Amino acid sequence: MDTKVRSFELAMWPHMRAAYNLARWLVRNDHDAEDIVQESFLKAYKAQESFRGADSRVWMLAIVRNTAMDFLRGYKARTTVTLGDQGQEAADHAPDPEGALLEQSRREQVRQAISHLAADFREVIVLREIEGLSYKEIASVLNIPMGTVMSRLARARNLLLVELGGAKEVQHDLP
Amino acid sequence: MTCREAGPLLHARLDNELDMAGATSIDLHLSDCHACAAQYAALQSLHDEIAAADLAYAPGAALERRLAAQFLEERKSPFHFWSRSWVNAFVWAAAAVVAVALTVSIPMLRVSRGTDTIAAEILDDHLRALQPEHQVDVPSSDQHTVKPWFQGKTSFSPPVPDLSKDDFILVGGRLEVIHQQPGAEIVYRRRQHIVSLYVSPSPGVDSTPELRELGGYHLLHWMQNGMSYWAVSDVATSDLREFADLVRRG
Repeated sequence: MDTKVRSFELAMWPHMRAAYNLARWLVRNDHDAEDIVQESFLKAYKAQESFRGADSRVWMLAIVRNTAMDFLRGYKARTTVTLGDQGQEAADHAPDPEGALLEQSRREQVRQAISHLAADFREVIVLREIEGLSYKEIASVLNIPMGTVMSRLARARNLLLVELGGAKEVQHDLP
Repeated sequence: MTCREAGPLLHARLDNELDMAGATSIDLHLSDCHACAAQYAALQSLHDEIAAADLAYAPGAALERRLAAQFLEERKSPFHFWSRSWVNAFVWAAAAVVAVALTVSIPMLRVSRGTDTIAAEILDDHLRALQPEHQVDVPSSDQHTVKPWFQGKTSFSPPVPDLSKDDFILVGGRLEVIHQQPGAEIVYRRRQHIVSLYVSPSPGVDSTPELRELGGYHLLHWMQNGMSYWAVSDVATSDLREFADLVRRG
């Protein structure tokens, strides 16, 4: 049985960074992201029989994503004040010591722009532009059709272009 | 192709998701249509800008420790999750089949199984070496500190080459027992990546580095002057080969 644990470790450990990155972008704070990664690894461990033959990174990221989404839904339900999308962003708007200095830097602008996207758009940008997943892999992680991946990505990028100055939102959206 | 048709395909073109024919027809349209070409350039620069911003969040050492501790817990209580599961029976049945298969296997197979086990052990130790508080017994970037440290602890004197000018920074050394054999582990760092080198005496003829992969990590194994060498890391294969070549040249 020890080899079972070990082979799981060997298959999943390399995806820890990607798992954390996705969780961090989705829940937008460090503490919850860590909890979600740990919970996801536990879930993955319990469900490892179901992953035979699948792409281990995609499989792990799908678990992380679902765990994060469950968490966010729970967070919304627990919150007495109606926060909506604005409130969810509270965590990221909290002042951090570096933030003040970097506020003006372009890098921080890009980070903020992505962070302010709605979750549906944010996750496709993170998976495509930061994790470098293919459309097919993104479709597997999010469990949506490829066409939806493409239209969300197009919409998300156009929103970013608008947010980051420069282009007006372009009319070339998928219907 | 109209601009309306081209719109969504610009993204697929940017993401290398189109086949040759699709890419060609988009490129033709871009050479004709100023508006779409401008949009494509904007998307390209957004893509480049996100890449340049390096926006991936890296997990802290605390999370790595938490997960490592969790795995360790699973190892200690392997039945924790399995005891009530029908899968348990299946796993034991499979294990029994494997055991029978191994018993009747030819000796050649045993040899290769042996090196695979060693590879797994070495990777295991390398993963442990990634734990911040348990990296090395003798932390030093000075080869003249690390090398003498092994004296009296190992029956041999492991090579500790200074590879700093090749951008492999010495982190330190520690003792490891691989396959019931005491060996020396010398740890280097290239950028964010840890490279572990395991050295132990082993009879055998010299051989060139042989690559294998395990759980997303690369391992190179070779023999030199009666010593067995293993280099393991998650750096690119080419970097690991470069490392092995530097070590072999001493």
